[in-house]
Amino acid sequence: MQDIAARRRAVVTVALCAGVAVLTLVSLGVGPVKLSPVAVLEALFGGGSEVQRIIVQDIRLPRAILGLAIGAILGLSGAALQGLLRNPLASPSLFGAPQAAAFGAVLVIALGGIDVRSFMLPVAAITAAFVSVFVLLAIAGRNASLLILILAGLAISSLAGAATSLTMNLSRNPFAALEIAFWLLGSLEDRSFRHVALALPFIVAGAAILMSRRHAFRALSLGEESARSLGVDVGRLRLWAILGVALGVGGAVAVAGAIGFIGLVAPHLMRPLIGYDPARLMVPSALTGAALLLAADVAVRLIPSTSDIKVGVLTALIGVPFFLYLIVRERRALGGGLA
Amino acid sequence: MPPVTWLHRPCKAIPACIARSSGGFVAAVLMLILGIGVQAQAADLPRVASINVCTDQLLLTLADPAQIVGLSPYARDAARSWAAAEARTYRRLSGEAEDLLTLKPDVVVAALYMKRATRELLKRQGMRVAEFDIARSIDDVKEQIRRMGDLVRHPDRAEAQVARLDAAIARARQAVARKRYRVLALSRRGWVSGDDSITSALLSITGLSNAAAGLGSQSSGFATLEAIVADRPDFILISDGRDVAEDEGSALLLHPALEKLYPPSRRLVIPEDLTVCGGPMLSEALDRLVAELKRVGG
Repeated sequence: MQDIAARRRAVVTVALCAGVAVLTLVSLGVGPVKLSPVAVLEALFGGGSEVQRIIVQDIRLPRAILGLAIGAILGLSGAALQGLLRNPLASPSLFGAPQAAAFGAVLVIALGGIDVRSFMLPVAAITAAFVSVFVLLAIAGRNASLLILILAGLAISSLAGAATSLTMNLSRNPFAALEIAFWLLGSLEDRSFRHVALALPFIVAGAAILMSRRHAFRALSLGEESARSLGVDVGRLRLWAILGVALGVGGAVAVAGAIGFIGLVAPHLMRPLIGYDPARLMVPSALTGAALLLAADVAVRLIPSTSDIKVGVLTALIGVPFFLYLIVRERRALGGGLA
Repeated sequence: MPPVTWLHRPCKAIPACIARSSGGFVAAVLMLILGIGVQAQAADLPRVASINVCTDQLLLTLADPAQIVGLSPYARDAARSWAAAEARTYRRLSGEAEDLLTLKPDVVVAALYMKRATRELLKRQGMRVAEFDIARSIDDVKEQIRRMGDLVRHPDRAEAQVARLDAAIARARQAVARKRYRVLALSRRGWVSGDDSITSALLSITGLSNAAAGLGSQSSGFATLEAIVADRPDFILISDGRDVAEDEGSALLLHPALEKLYPPSRRLVIPEDLTVCGGPMLSEALDRLVAELKRVGG
């Protein structure tokens, strides 16, 4: 039995890696300027005309890298939070972490004199994300019911979204409306390697922290008491998890805005295939998150529209019905919380 | 403001003139002597309020200070309002109906494409609202200057401004570019000024061609970074030469893909306050465009 499960996990992981690789290539191949797959590959490795190289290397490659990295860290954060809280509805976006991070970034911009490509932006976003998740977990307490988590998360994300809009409106920027749309809905359009350099170190650090705690999450799935008896310091684990999520989500939001629901959906898609072990769920969830965001970002470019569709719109269109389905499935637990 | 300058700009009421003057007493005496005649003339001139940044510019150029009831909030925005410094001396209106209803100007000047609800409310209240459309050509600009001149009853000043603009056009035509370079006027988020824009008119006066047509669109609109890079115009025309991105929208213009193809020697810079409206500032815009062409060796 063990053997069959392990083989299945390996097959799923390999398939996911292949899927992510294919989607990355598709992401490089899709854009307003039609380039053949051969031309794209040539340009990627330094061939082709200068224009082709610029399009593939400077415009599409950073976008694909960010889609992959941000999707992965969102999936990983979702899996980590679900493991930490032993709660299938935990995810960064339901906790308002991306919205809070966007507020942090926008606040720094509105205070003025800051280039949006400076490291101040991710630092502010990470700080705000950390505060929001910390406050949420403090409000929810140790053994939070689903209902309390969802309500508190809703409150924080609404507040952060409103604060983001207001900050933009109060700034002297006359183009506030368009900027607000970017920060609240998220977009990977026309990102560059400067954005990659800005976000990637934090995303990698966040991922490393979360991955290093995976065995503690597994121990925690047996219950807090058992975890303690296995030597897990639950209080410190919480802090590490919050820090990891904040670093990853804050770094991502600082360059791409608040992209929601990847962290909620990805672990759920993997659970039937991988099982319920939080530690084993993390890498497949990250890969699924990467695949989801890359696919959404390809779709945004393929759907014919007169103005650019924000990628966060698409992830919400997929994520919200999924969330509702989860609520229906967890209705008993939620109802129990009410009674 | 010293008394000498405002003497030839009649005020509507003596107390208002006294209040405006920093020279206090001297001004009051002078006004008592000259006041009666001036007041009779000034009382006929309409008092005008502007709720749009472009009508602000026309009003500031053509009206007497005493005729200006107030200006739109963006009039003081140094980046986009050409007469921002001067605008600071006037009342800052909210741009909405309430303060206009209490200030009761004779005419409200507004843009035809914005604040529709405000304009309709004002009209229902019996106010005279003069609407100015977006100026899309030099002829539009001249017509608007003359229309505002008539509105504030200073047609002579309007003619002087039109003549000034014609002189700048003549100067620019002489300094025409060596080659019919393709220039793309590019703003935040990839907004491109099409053939039906003032910027396009400025380009053709200096013998340049608007590259927007090459991007498959005659009219203004958003262009993708990839399409710009693929079309590869000779120059891009932008409003800010600095290497600072204030927000995500302006970060696009500093994208490495654009910086590779368009180093400073391939960027023509004309500040936004010279091109955002059609008005008297266009003569400065033309001089600037000619100077920029010289700088890049075109």
